[in-house]
Amino acid sequence: MLRATDVSQSYRDESVFRELSIGIDAGEVVAVIGPSGVGKTTLLRTLALSLEPDGGAVTFDGADAWTLEEAERLSLRRRVGMVFQEASLFDASVARNVEYGLRIRRSWSERLREGLRSTVRPDGTNEAVRESLDVVGLTDKTNQHVASLSGGEAQRVSFARALAYDPDVLLLDEPTSDLDPRNTAVIEEAIAEARDRGIGVVVATHDMHQAERVADRAAVLLGDSITEIGPTEEIFEHPSNERTRKFISGELVY
Amino acid sequence: MPLEPLTELLLAVFDSPFREGYVPSIIYVSLYVSLTAVTLSTLFSVPVAVVLGFNDFFGKRFVKSVINTGMGFPSVVVGLVVLFAVSNQGPLGSLELVFTREAMIISQFVLATPPITAISLAAITGVDENVRGAAHVLGGTRLDVALVVLKEARYGIATAILAGFGRAISEVGSVLIVGGNITGSDGISKTRTLTTAIQLEARQGRYETAMVLGAILVVLVLAVNAVVVRFGDRGVQR
Repeated sequence: MLRATDVSQSYRDESVFRELSIGIDAGEVVAVIGPSGVGKTTLLRTLALSLEPDGGAVTFDGADAWTLEEAERLSLRRRVGMVFQEASLFDASVARNVEYGLRIRRSWSERLREGLRSTVRPDGTNEAVRESLDVVGLTDKTNQHVASLSGGEAQRVSFARALAYDPDVLLLDEPTSDLDPRNTAVIEEAIAEARDRGIGVVVATHDMHQAERVADRAAVLLGDSITEIGPTEEIFEHPSNERTRKFISGELVY
Repeated sequence: MPLEPLTELLLAVFDSPFREGYVPSIIYVSLYVSLTAVTLSTLFSVPVAVVLGFNDFFGKRFVKSVINTGMGFPSVVVGLVVLFAVSNQGPLGSLELVFTREAMIISQFVLATPPITAISLAAITGVDENVRGAAHVLGGTRLDVALVVLKEARYGIATAILAGFGRAISEVGSVLIVGGNITGSDGISKTRTLTTAIQLEARQGRYETAMVLGAILVVLVLAVNAVVVRFGDRGVQR
């Protein structure tokens, strides 16, 4: 469905990764594993069509996103959801946050009317908003302001926000690295739920146990390329690449 | 005058309390001139701050340093320049704006614009990069992202507008030069503001009147401050 082919990215004339390829299909979870600072975030932002690659192509259902008109690329971009390592919520209520993706997809006249209506009669939560908050177990917080949430709850809201508009692909950048075990478990269950809905999920993580728990396939990002990609079990039990083996066993220290 | 019909309308709405008496008419002129100038300045400054905050271009540092310099620009000099501009030989001479409220609005606009732009820009650039990123990856267009940033920066922008209003209403040099501190034959203020009236009353030894006017000015500025601080608190505590 979503595929990056031979993409290269650099930051301030320094190469982040080179000629890297990765694909994601509907209803599967792919883990991108690698040490911190290796470019997992850059890879995810490339897949989110929010960062144009220096070379190579990002295709969505066969359409080469960066050769399209901006309006067409926007409609592809809108089929992707992304969650950052930090919750990055807007200064508003939980419901307003989760609703955001839905709201900006409406026409301006609808948005204006909706805005006026909600000023007159504030509550009236969208069904999709309620549903995606249910996935992360936060329906009771719907009308609270995000400032009153704990870090873990905020990250769960951030997940619900990306899920609410029913994307085809969900990109998660270290979604649980700052969370306690309970909140981590909620997010991992939500990942499984998203996969069951047919969403293709990419999880960038440095936690190999998490990759083993949630992912169908794993890609190991070392240096400036993917050293190995395949079914998660195979990667962990029989890595064919020497550096991958060293990284997984912890011998390779960055 | 281009803005005269609006003045008439406002006077009709507020009617007698502002028309009768020397002091109310001065308060009215002060508020009318400063509020109009700050409103126009906000409509100009905030979009400029958004453009500066969202784009990198050659000469951006220069533009920013011009704005910062403008914050400390002496108001008498602004008044002098505006007076030249609206005088008979000036580029705006045909509008006959010397010693009018419109000329005062122009000079206060020039004075209020740098602080409003600079503080709004600081608020906009202070919005968390990740929040901008989130708006974008959730499917936002450039306009959507800009709206999110404006919303996140709303308290900072409110502070900017307040600072602009504070500079405008308490400023004496430029309104004295371009407005002329005029009252009509009935003693009703034409271009006399609180600040220029205080200056005149004090010089003529009517200290009681000057002190009353001074107290009114302080209360006005404090009241506007209180409204914005309250507004800001709501943003922080919730």
